[in-house]
Amino acid sequence: MADEGREPDARFTFANERTFLAWNRTALALVVAGLAIVQLLPPFAGVPWGRRIIAIPLILLGAAVSVASYLELQRNQRALRRGDPLPRSVLPAILAGAIAVLGLLAVALVLTSLALR
Amino acid sequence: MTSGPGPGAGSGPDPERRPAAGGPVEDMEELDPGLARERTELAWRRTAISYAALGAALLKASPPAGALVLAASALIWGTGRLAGGPQRAGERAPRRAGGRAARRAGGRAPRRAGGRAALETNQRRLLLITVAVTAVALGALALALLARHSTLPLR
Repeated sequence: MADEGREPDARFTFANERTFLAWNRTALALVVAGLAIVQLLPPFAGVPWGRRIIAIPLILLGAAVSVASYLELQRNQRALRRGDPLPRSVLPAILAGAIAVLGLLAVALVLTSLALR
Repeated sequence: MTSGPGPGAGSGPDPERRPAAGGPVEDMEELDPGLARERTELAWRRTAISYAALGAALLKASPPAGALVLAASALIWGTGRLAGGPQRAGERAPRRAGGRAARRAGGRAPRRAGGRAALETNQRRLLLITVAVTAVALGALALALLARHSTLPLR
């Protein structure tokens, strides 16, 4: 990457780095949330795998967000060096969609558990 | 979202946002580009503190895992200090608003020798964060899949 284009203004590089770090804190929060669901929540009555159904996608999403943020950092840095428009980020849409789906899944699990109690 | 015209390589601040000579400064980074470095250092510290919090929570349940995460947080803290260390390629010295340097071509970024090595070192530092988060995620996944009962006596 160092061979491509020119060195951009350091402020843009710093901003890119801060965005990357913020995504990784989000990723870590997702992993911790998944772990907390498995370890701290009481089991759903009648749905023995209930906690894992929510927790495992959260943990996997955390790992995916971390890796994707690194790829995005490199893509943005390359665009900055070339003076190209910054590529559109898909991470916010993925995160919002996944959290919405998991929220609905959690509601369904709670209702199922209440019905089976 | 990140779209639209990208910042030009090596270009300075947007001329429309640049303050007129003696006028008010909208962005503090116009006065002192070093603030970007400071903000980035703080972001590194926040990341290290997030790790330390997780490590401290894990210490109670699994001392080896907690110690490992705490060690990673110390490493990230140190890495953050390195990231804010020597002047980065393309970084300008602070300048006064309305000064002669401010008026000169919008503060074009200077070239710096050894930029490639610095860039590669920085990429490795950032990769370390991704590797650390992924490692924690894999550990959490193993715990979620294998642990039959709650192992974290946090309640």
